[in-house]
Order: sequence, then structure tokens, then C-alpha cells
Amino acid sequence: MENLGALSLVLAFCLTIYSILGSLVGKWKKNPFLTLSAERAVYCVWFLVAGAVGILVYSLIGGDFRMAYVAEHSNRAMPPYYKFASWWGGQAGSLLLWTFLLASYSAVVVFQNRRKFRDMMPYVVSILMTVEGFFLLLITFIVSPFLVLMQGKGIIDVGDGQGLNPLLQYWTMLIHPPVLYLGYVGFTVPFAFAIASLITKQPGDDWIYTTRRWAIVTWFFQSAGIILGAGWAYAVLGWGGYWGWDPVENASLLPWLTSTAFLHSVMMQEKKGMMKIWNMVLVAATFFLCIFGTTLTRTGLVASVHAFAQSQIGGYFFGFLGIGIAGTTYLILDRLEYLKTEARLESVVSRESSFLFNNLILLASCFAILWGTLFPVISEKLTGEKISVDGPFFNKVNIPIGLFLLFLTGVGPLVAWRRSSAESLKKAFIAPTAGAAILIAVLVAFGIRHPYALMSFGLCLFVAISVLTEFYKGAQAISIKDGKNLLAAAVELTHRNTRRYGGYVVHLAIVMMFIGFTGSAFNKDATQQVAPGDTVHIAGYDLKLLKLVDSDNENYVGRKAIIEVSTNGKVLQTMEPEHRFYKASKQPTSEVAIRRRLTEDLYINFAGMSDGDAKGVIQAYVFPLVSCIWIGFWILFAGTVICLVPSKVRLQYARTEVIGIAKKPHAASQIHN
Amino acid sequence: MQRRKFITSALGLGAAAIAAAQEPDPVSLVSPEIRRVGTKLACRCGVCNNTVADCAMLECSYCLPARRKIAEMQKAGQSDEFIVASFVKESGVSALSQPPTEGFSLLSWVMPFVAIAIGLIAILFWIKRYQRQPAGALPEIDPAMLNRYRDRIEKDMAKNE
Repeated sequence: MENLGALSLVLAFCLTIYSILGSLVGKWKKNPFLTLSAERAVYCVWFLVAGAVGILVYSLIGGDFRMAYVAEHSNRAMPPYYKFASWWGGQAGSLLLWTFLLASYSAVVVFQNRRKFRDMMPYVVSILMTVEGFFLLLITFIVSPFLVLMQGKGIIDVGDGQGLNPLLQYWTMLIHPPVLYLGYVGFTVPFAFAIASLITKQPGDDWIYTTRRWAIVTWFFQSAGIILGAGWAYAVLGWGGYWGWDPVENASLLPWLTSTAFLHSVMMQEKKGMMKIWNMVLVAATFFLCIFGTTLTRTGLVASVHAFAQSQIGGYFFGFLGIGIAGTTYLILDRLEYLKTEARLESVVSRESSFLFNNLILLASCFAILWGTLFPVISEKLTGEKISVDGPFFNKVNIPIGLFLLFLTGVGPLVAWRRSSAESLKKAFIAPTAGAAILIAVLVAFGIRHPYALMSFGLCLFVAISVLTEFYKGAQAISIKDGKNLLAAAVELTHRNTRRYGGYVVHLAIVMMFIGFTGSAFNKDATQQVAPGDTVHIAGYDLKLLKLVDSDNENYVGRKAIIEVSTNGKVLQTMEPEHRFYKASKQPTSEVAIRRRLTEDLYINFAGMSDGDAKGVIQAYVFPLVSCIWIGFWILFAGTVICLVPSKVRLQYARTEVIGIAKKPHAASQIHN
Repeated sequence: MQRRKFITSALGLGAAAIAAAQEPDPVSLVSPEIRRVGTKLACRCGVCNNTVADCAMLECSYCLPARRKIAEMQKAGQSDEFIVASFVKESGVSALSQPPTEGFSLLSWVMPFVAIAIGLIAILFWIKRYQRQPAGALPEIDPAMLNRYRDRIEKDMAKNE
């Protein structure tokens, strides 16, 4: 079986080379049959990679412990779904997942565009297959998942494996890596189209229109992957931290920030033909940051709890990044003539400017995170001094940047395209600003003094009012005209321009998430040793340890603390945090118990025993508003889906351009209005 | 009874009890006084990116001895600054939870804001450049063309209604 898997990968690698050469030579020699054959090779690559995946998964689930990968990442006691998840639990398997997803995306791209973009497609295919070929090279020749265990010259079966890391045996880990990879890998498609449009010197914005949905979908997958990872950390690690500024977490955020900037600035190109170079740079930056992210995870460049075991693949990744960045930079510089802006910016106080500032802040945040992540390496190389750059640094630098970004999220809808008069600005800003000021005053009156928390809550309301006013004004106009109720009119409004109003819904999701992040300023915790019958008091809750219950199964031994939760003498529920020890990997874990409510979560970790096994150590936390983060995710999902629904009215993005000056000034102003 | 013993030892819970007999127990080391100093020190266990104050692993290989040291030094009447300086003397500036604001490390704090400033200047320069474009460079529109645009606007508006 393992030979068949390895053979599939070798054949797939050969076919990627054929596909690259066939596309380029077919284009060069104007041979459509060769080009078509190269495109069909993409489907074959998918079949071969899917075959290899099938063989690996079959070996994992079937327990073929002759295979090194199976022995290292699976064991007999694990439930089948975790055996399946072992596919991406290690270096080679996760690279195979990446390869499989890119092969799938490539096949979809080729099928979708089989009759479109005939000029660009050979280059699109060759770029997709170059990236695919790079990953196939790694899993075929450097870190194969199909290695077998050898003793002397004989293959051995070790009987059972070490199992998946217990921390990864949690339901979000079944979907977090694939979803994050769908986002990471997916941005290869917009990148391929962008580069193909540069190579073919496309004068228009075809690549933008073609890849718009890809960009939105992959952006959503990146967002979902990040949030799922945060949800996993919150529920599994035992202290309720959903974001730890770990280098690998940071690496996942970097392409998200640049792709978010791209989704905003691309509107400038669609609407006004501006920022073409910038959009190219953003697409390329997002793609290379995705590769950089996976490089960080796999090369040991920075120390991270998420990193895979170090291997020899670092040099390959840096080589690929170096060549890719150099080639892309050359292409952009060489094609500047085709990327000239078609319109001019008329005022600093305009929607266009707000997009520019939004891009600046997103990129600044990206730079700050990248800089902080790499600074220990830079410092050690240049000065020989090791430095820790941890959470406190990232919070100090990124919180002000994040708050300014939140402010811009609210400002955007209030400012008109082209220019805004002082009068219209005053009118637009008055309600959101007044709302924010009143909220801050009320919070201060209730004793809240945390400056960032006050600013954040105020800005959240500022953005919410600004966005909801947009919905209200539009819906009211439709309601008056068509006689619909406001809700129906709001639905109609959204349907008329799904990207705009879907985008606003996403902004509301970001507001919800910021409310959740801000709640962390008011976290409370208590750590106490308790014997059965003792009580821990925290934030109005009384947590009474009733008893300890032991368990034992094939996978782990465990002990549960049965805790009665009450407030003011009223029993609310019983919670059962557990401490486990996994037999195969010999690792302890904590299974926390969480009472989730909209206003706050009660989070209990059973940390172990003390005092000669007589007392349990209970760590209790109260996390105010943390649920808003997860609710925000579902709103973000809804907003993204709305963005993907085709708009009812298709002319809203007709490009604005200044074509000249009218002979009579009043005629010109009529057009502008 | 034997099963319980196995579970207790497998869960590694006996070790804490033995340690507790000789040293201050881990739970007593999460006091606000120790945390106050701990916020300035990085947890260097390699598992989390927390500070000595925030690290939730009571038996953390780095934080537990660090907390014990803080407790002892506080008991001896040492100031917070002196305690932090002793950690730096022992392990270098990597003991700190954030880079110091001096020497080469100052760059870590300054660079993000320098980047914002450069970006801001670039945007303002770009805006000014486009605003400086002389209006005279634009051609005068033929009235017939103007009328065609008006018709198109009316048609588009009609579709929206």
C-alpha cells in the first residue's frame, strides 16, 4: 500500500512538471491541444494526490503500524475520527493536506474556466502547478508520509502507535487545520490570476472580477480557521486564553490582515480604476505570507508550541519564497505601465481616502506583528542578545492600532465617495459620536476606569450606529417608495447590493468580536485547594466540590471533579472538569468545564491534586463577554454569505471617471450630483 | 485501591504533594504580590507565551521556581525592581516579558510606529500629487457626449426604480 501511495505522489509530481511545461510551450507554440492536455493533467494530479490521501487515511484508520507516520501520530485506542485527524497531525501529513487542497482548488479553477480566459489560463495553470509541484517535491523526496519502519533490512510492525497529541484530541481540531489551510492554500488562486494578468499584460481588471469570489471565500476560511483555533485554545489549554501571540498564531494573522486590506482596496480598483499596483502587491503579499506562515511552522525559525518537529525542509521553503518574491517584484516593476491609475483622488475627506487609511492601518498592524515575531531572531543575529517578545509587547503595540482601525470601520460608511462637505460630515458624525460619548459617560458613572476598555466600547457603539444608520436610511427610502415594512425593505436593500451590505454585516461582526476582546480587561480568577465539601468563591459564584470520580479506558485514565455551582444560595448547575493522563503519549491534559452565557463564561479547570492527594486544585475564571467573539464569528459567516449572493441590481459598481469639463459649470455639477 | 493508586501516580498528582512538603505549595504562589512582579517576567517554559504572572500551569517548569524565588526575595524585603534585575542578571534580558526600551531593543517599540508615519506621509504625498494635477489638463466635453451620459444616467436610474 505504502508503495502505491509513494508512486502516486511521484507520478503526480511528474504530471505537475508536464502541466507547467505543456501550458507554457503550448502557449508559446500556439498549440491549443498541448495547452488543453496540460490542463487535463491538473485533473490527473488531483486523482493521484487523492489516491495518496486515501491510502494514508486507510493506513491510519486501519492501524498499519509498519508505517512510520501511522506509528508516530495514531494508536489503536483513538476513536476513528481522531485517527482520521492524524492525517494532518504531523509534518508530512499536513504537507499532504496542503497538496491535496491545492490540487482540488486547481482542478476547480481549470473546470470553471475551461472556456474562459484562454489567453491567461496557460499561465494560471503553470503558476498553480508550480506551487503544487513544490509541495509534491517536499512530500515525495524530503518528508514522505509513506516511509516504513525498518530494523536492519526488514520492515517491522510496532503493533501500536504513540497516538495523536492529546491536546489535539478535541472536536475543533478535526476542522481547524483543514479550514485554515483552505484559507491559506486558497489565496494561491487570486495570486495565480494576478500574475497571469501581469504576464499577459492585461489592460483591464479581468483577474479582479474573476477572483473576487475566490478572495472572499478564502478570506472567510482564513477567518474561520483563526477563530476555530482560538476556540480550541480557549476550551483546551486550561486558562481560557484564546490568543497567545505565539509566532505561529501570528503567522496565521499576517495573511488575514493583508487579504482584508485587499478586499477593501480592490473596491477602489473596481469603482475608480485606482490602486492597481497596490492591489497586485497585496495579493502577492498575502500569498507569500501564507507560505511564510507554513515556513515558520516547519523550520524552527522561531520557537513555537505549534511548530512541527524540525526537518530539512527549511532551505526549500526559503528558496521558494526568495525566487517567488524576486520574480513577482520583477514582473510588477516591469509592467508598471499597465497598472497606471485611471482616476485621480479629489479630496482627503472622501471614501477613497478612508480606504487608504484603512489599508495603512491594516498593513501597519501586519508589520507590527511580523516585526515583533521576528525581532528575537533579528536581535540575536545582530547583537547576540536573546530577547523575549511576548503578549505584553503585542498588546501594547496592537491595541492602539486595533482601536484606530475600529474607528476607521465606523468612519468609512459616513464619508461619501469623491468628496464630503463639512456640513454632510457634521450631519453624518453627530449620531454615532453622541452615542459613543453617552455610552462612555454611563460606563464611567458605573465605575469603569480602564481607558482602553472605555475607548473600545465607545468605538464599538460608534461603528454600530454608523453601520445601522446606513441600513436604516436605505431601508427607509425603499419602505417609503415601495410601501414595505422596514425589515422587508432592509432585506431588499441588502439584496440590491449584497457586497456592500454584506460587508457592513461583517463590520458588525468585527464590532461583536471587539466587545468580546474588551471583556478580557475585566477577567477574574481564583486558584484554591479544596477538599470535598469545600467551596471556592469567585465573582458572585460559589463552587462547591462535591466529590472526585475516577475513570479508566483504553485511551486515558482520568479524574473528574464534580462541582456544584450556585449563586446567592441558588443552585445553577453541576460542572465536571476533568484531569486526564493519556496512556500512549504519556501526557496529562485538562478537560475544562465551561458555563457559557452571553454576559460571561464561568470556566473551571481541575489542575490536579495536592496535600497528599487529599485536596483538589481548582482554577476558576470568569470571562466577561467572551461569547461575543464566537457570536461575532457567526455574524461574520452570515455577512460573507450575503457578500457571495449575486446582487439584484448589477449596475451599482459602474466605474466613476472624470472625462472632462463641461462647457457650462452648472451642467457639470448636475452630473456630479 | 490499586487502581486508585495507579490513577493517582499516572496523573502525576503525587509529585505535587511531595514538593508541597518541602517548598511553599504552588497554589500559595499565585498571590497578587507575586503576580505584580511576575507581569514583568516572561514564562520561558517554551509551551506558552504568557508571563510568570499569567502562566496557568501551577507546576510549570519555569514559573514555579521563578515564583518561589520572587516569594523568597519579597520575604527578604527586596523591591520589585531589584527582583526583576536579579532575573535579568541571571538570564539576560530574555527574562523580561517585553523588550527593554533602550539600546537595540528600542527598535522593537519604535519601528511599528515609524512604519505608520512613513505610510501616512506616503498617502498624504500621493493625495497631494493627484490633487495638484491641473484641471486644465482635462479636455472640454462635447455637449452631445454630455447628453449621452445624461441619458445613460436616466436609464440606469429607471432600472433601479
